[in-house]
Amino acid sequence: MPERKLSRRQVIAAASILVLLVALLFVPKFRSEYELLNYTRFLILALMAQGWNLIGGYTGYAAFGNVAFFGIGAYTTGLLMISKWAVPFFPAMFCGAILAALVAVVIGLPVLRLKGHYFAIATLGVAEATREIADTWDSVTQGSTGIDLPVRSEGEFFYYSALALVVLGVIATALLVRSKLGYAWVAIREDQDAARMLGINTTPLKVLAFALSAVFAALAGGLTAYQNIHVTPGDFFKLEYTLQMIIATIIGGTGTIFGPVLGAGVYQLLSTYVWTKFIELHPTVLGLIIIFFIIFAPRGLMSLVSEGLKVVRGQKRFRWQGLLANVRAHRVT
Amino acid sequence: MSSAEFAQIAVNAILLSGILALVALGFSLVWGIMNIVNLAHGAFVVLGAYFTFYLNELAGVDPFVSIPLSMVTLFIIGFIVQRVLINQVVRAPLLATFLLTFGLEILIVNLVNYFFKADLRSVTTRYSGTGWTVGVVRVPYIRLAALGIALVLVALTAWFLRATRQGRAIRATGMDIDAARLTGVKVGTIYSLTYAIGAALAGAAGSLLSMIVPFDPNIGGPYTQRAFVISVLGGLGEVANVVLGALLYAFVDVFVGARLPELSQAFTFAALVILLVLRPEGIAGKKFYA
Repeated sequence: MPERKLSRRQVIAAASILVLLVALLFVPKFRSEYELLNYTRFLILALMAQGWNLIGGYTGYAAFGNVAFFGIGAYTTGLLMISKWAVPFFPAMFCGAILAALVAVVIGLPVLRLKGHYFAIATLGVAEATREIADTWDSVTQGSTGIDLPVRSEGEFFYYSALALVVLGVIATALLVRSKLGYAWVAIREDQDAARMLGINTTPLKVLAFALSAVFAALAGGLTAYQNIHVTPGDFFKLEYTLQMIIATIIGGTGTIFGPVLGAGVYQLLSTYVWTKFIELHPTVLGLIIIFFIIFAPRGLMSLVSEGLKVVRGQKRFRWQGLLANVRAHRVT
Repeated sequence: MSSAEFAQIAVNAILLSGILALVALGFSLVWGIMNIVNLAHGAFVVLGAYFTFYLNELAGVDPFVSIPLSMVTLFIIGFIVQRVLINQVVRAPLLATFLLTFGLEILIVNLVNYFFKADLRSVTTRYSGTGWTVGVVRVPYIRLAALGIALVLVALTAWFLRATRQGRAIRATGMDIDAARLTGVKVGTIYSLTYAIGAALAGAAGSLLSMIVPFDPNIGGPYTQRAFVISVLGGLGEVANVVLGALLYAFVDVFVGARLPELSQAFTFAALVILLVLRPEGIAGKKFYA
């Protein structure tokens, strides 16, 4: 590779990421076990959101059923660990990820032929169906009673595992979106027919994006299963997880490398704060947050940050009207 | 299955299909005209049910009398929601309206939960439980009346869209929003009107449901999903198709659901995906809209 000189901006960006990473490495030293739990939740959400970002953000397919892969990951991990082979945690988790990817391929082949709303509702239906199957398949999943995993109660273990997976996720996303594959996904998102005319074989690439997003969700599911110990269909196939990953990605910025991680952090902060202040109105506040972001900042915080940086550098003047740009472009009067 | 049992199940399916058609009617209208999958639709059904319940509980209003009142209230709510919120982003990529109406849904359902509690409610009148026996089959009066009202509302909506000036403006806007604007249609108002009618129909469905099945604030989501499946089965583009979709859905639901209730969603959605892959425009729909 020819040697490249890094610009000042890239050096600053790399340095700030490094500082953030070091800070995250030392979190367990300064936080209580309870607070660490919230940080781990943030990282697991970031992992799921990164997965959703591949299919929903880059490829532009609004998948509403990714919790199915979360649940498949959780159950595979749990069942392998308590099986007669007593598979250790990490191999079990990776088996869960592989199985989820295979399921995603099987489901994706018919479902990814659908477009728009049809795809969204079909994936929603798939998620509901997997929950029902987990609920009824007593001989394997023990039905709605659920399964119990071996106990491991070190908060640090889960925190560092999640952190490692999120960092790997960021690296994987960055490599993928700069590859030919990533450009093909964006082409599919922008105009599928045009992409096909340019010789992109859209179906396998869409299925690949779907399967990769399933891998992220399944890893998050496996980790959550081991942490929560008890796995039931009701807890691990709930729509809420799908929504969380979508909301986190949108808050951060769809189709950006750091967006899902940033969005997950903001979501967890809001959620923790809201939980303690108004427990009963938690969904109302979440609803208001969704409505606010969809109307005023559909491109998420990453875009607000980059706009803000332009203002700081003096390339652009600050205008309140900037917040209304989305409404200006899309409203009907 | 004995023939009497079969006849009763078939009658139940037909009676059920009326109310399902009404649940899907407003949803199909909003989707067909504005390309919005209105995930808040079920929440409007819930609001209609609670409206009727409280009018009956606090003021002793007969639930059938409360239907027009519930429709007017939901019409106003729907108009404001579309005008203030959805019109702002209606031309954005579809994920925007999808998530926006989803945010509305969790907000409304949570507020209903907060103010009216999550207890299971039902409206009972002195004629609840009375019915009509024809041979071996029993037809409850309320369900029969619900079927009648639902069919009348479907017919009225179809007539309104075809024969009135406002209705034609709605259909024109659904076909081509820019062309409609050029011919002098106030598309913002028409969108608000369309959404308001959708909400009013959801309110009527909720009022009827409150007399037929026990309800709580969380029934909204499942009814939105049913409305979606029925709209797709019937086909978009002509609102009266929901009757066909609802009939098909009700028969599958009653016959399959009676045997394997725990896998009913899996079956319904498997059937839906197969249908969509084979015939994306629905059974009777045109490829024109959506």
